Amino acid sequence: MRRIVTALAGTVTALVMLFGYHTSTAGSGTTAAVPSAPLTTGNSGSGSSGSSSSSTSGASGGGTQTYTGDTVQTQWGPVQVQIAVTGGEITDVTTLQHPSGNPRDEEINAYALPVLRESALSAQSADFDLVSGATVTSQGYVGSLQSALDQANL
Amino acid sequence: MSSTTGALPEAWPGGSPAGRTVTPSPSPVRRAGRDRLVADLVSGVVAASLTVVVVLWFAGGGLTDLTIATGPALTSLGRLTGLVSADLLLLQVLAIARVPVVERALGQDQLARWHRVLGFTSFSLLLGHVVLVTVGYAATTRTGVLAQLWDLVWTYPGMLLATAGTAALVMVVATSVRAARRRLRYESWHLLHLYAYLGVGLALPHQLWTGSDFVASPAARAYWWTLYLATLGAVVAFRVALPAYRNLRHRLVVRAVVDEAPGVVSLHVGGRDLARMGARPGQYFVWRFLDGPGWSRGNPYSLSAPVRRDLLRVTVKDLGDGSRRLADVRPGTRVLVEGPYGALTADRRTRPRVTLIGAGIGITPLRAIAEDLDLPPGDVTLVHRAGDDSDLVLRAETEELARVRGIRLMHLVGPRAAGATPSWLPAHLAHLGDAEALRRIAPDIARQDVFVCGPDCWMAALEQALAAAGVPRSQVHIEHFSW
Repeated sequence: MRRIVTALAGTVTALVMLFGYHTSTAGSGTTAAVPSAPLTTGNSGSGSSGSSSSSTSGASGGGTQTYTGDTVQTQWGPVQVQIAVTGGEITDVTTLQHPSGNPRDEEINAYALPVLRESALSAQSADFDLVSGATVTSQGYVGSLQSALDQANL
Repeated sequence: MSSTTGALPEAWPGGSPAGRTVTPSPSPVRRAGRDRLVADLVSGVVAASLTVVVVLWFAGGGLTDLTIATGPALTSLGRLTGLVSADLLLLQVLAIARVPVVERALGQDQLARWHRVLGFTSFSLLLGHVVLVTVGYAATTRTGVLAQLWDLVWTYPGMLLATAGTAALVMVVATSVRAARRRLRYESWHLLHLYAYLGVGLALPHQLWTGSDFVASPAARAYWWTLYLATLGAVVAFRVALPAYRNLRHRLVVRAVVDEAPGVVSLHVGGRDLARMGARPGQYFVWRFLDGPGWSRGNPYSLSAPVRRDLLRVTVKDLGDGSRRLADVRPGTRVLVEGPYGALTADRRTRPRVTLIGAGIGITPLRAIAEDLDLPPGDVTLVHRAGDDSDLVLRAETEELARVRGIRLMHLVGPRAAGATPSWLPAHLAHLGDAEALRRIAPDIARQDVFVCGPDCWMAALEQALAAAGVPRSQVHIEHFSW
């Protein structure tokens, strides 16, 4: 009986500690980035591509216009992009909202978003391959990008 | 402590067999039909639940993910193995939940065997799930496998709990392989095994919060919660609440302890309303006698006589551990039971004539069944195999039954035959051959029901002999007590 009580006490202690850990009580959720502070995630991964333009939102300096695409709801959360157009060409794409709050989303976005940005800039349209393993995010990205392009009449 | 010989009229009140308490039961034909129905329903439920998880996987894009690239393909397979493993995990908990209808139709020993098979299968799939998901994620995000594993355990929702749950299940499985069972006492093994409940429960959060088939679908989550709650409900209802209710209602107390033979005692246990327990001759309970430290270890003992005038009786041989101390139990000791369990009962009979074959202490449920069978003289044969004369437990009672009911009683006494192939016969009869001996005992044995109880290896030899003698499997009724 003494051993049973000891084992029970030890088990309860272990359980209390386990449930005190932060992943043990959070559910999966998404947080949307505040639109006026665009995330640099999309940019930081593409350092070597020479794209040194800082992602500025809101308007017009010289010939650069920014267009904000619709928010596309995916099963993992919302995706929203903003494009910067100079002289009829897309010069930058920033991600305003992407699924997060789940470390899996962070991982996927860390490699997928830069790839999508590169694809958009080289294709100068929303017509490019989705990123394998990030199908859902890619589809949301493409959808939001297309709506931004529509606004820019490109 | 009273010490009387075990003659039927004196030690066991009730006088003539006509004064016994009979729990009404359905006819053998209806019983067999009902058993088949329950067995079919159980198979249906198992198949349905597995189908649902595969559909869940499919609906979550599992099949299409297989074609994208290596990473997602492995992850998708990982999801499938995880789903099936979790489903089997819940099913095996249900198998051991002692649901009365199921237990009555299939027998606890058969359910325990399935529990074992389902458990090991579920565990193998669990290992596959862990490997596939880790390697799949690592391939998709192009990180190292170990780094990915670390990431999974420490940063994903509910995963630390799931890791702890997996560790618990690893311990449970490791202590349940045969090599480990041999080294552990049953009671110690059973206590360690209870950690399986923890393993099952701790897996749930990660399934709901990280499992992509559940995160995306409220319907899937609702289904999964229902499954978990139903399993939990069954365990609480049938392993905790029902036994607690029965004990409170019937208030069992030891009335007498009777020496039957050297090393063999009978305990007469009294209580209220015992007929309402529905215990049939041939069934058993798991007994806990509140006689001091160590009371919490339960042991299964069969009833050795029909329930009579609010008295139950078990006859136990000193085989070590719990059985030895029963001789010192004092009248007035409270008794806690779980049960009645067991599928070895007279209503399993499918034929007009019956042979009962028991070895040593295994004669106890058979002696009870023999008294319960209401058949004409000469239609029941009772064979008692024993190492020597002192092992013929309850001899006076079986001889009394033979005299009063016309039961054909045979004693096969003597040491086992030494030899390569184990025989169920004593040495001096081994020359007849296992199957031929059965035909000598009852020439029409292939057209009789045969009830068997004894040590496992002896029963195995006897089962082979019965098959060789042409007795169909459906007419052989066996219950194993060592799970």
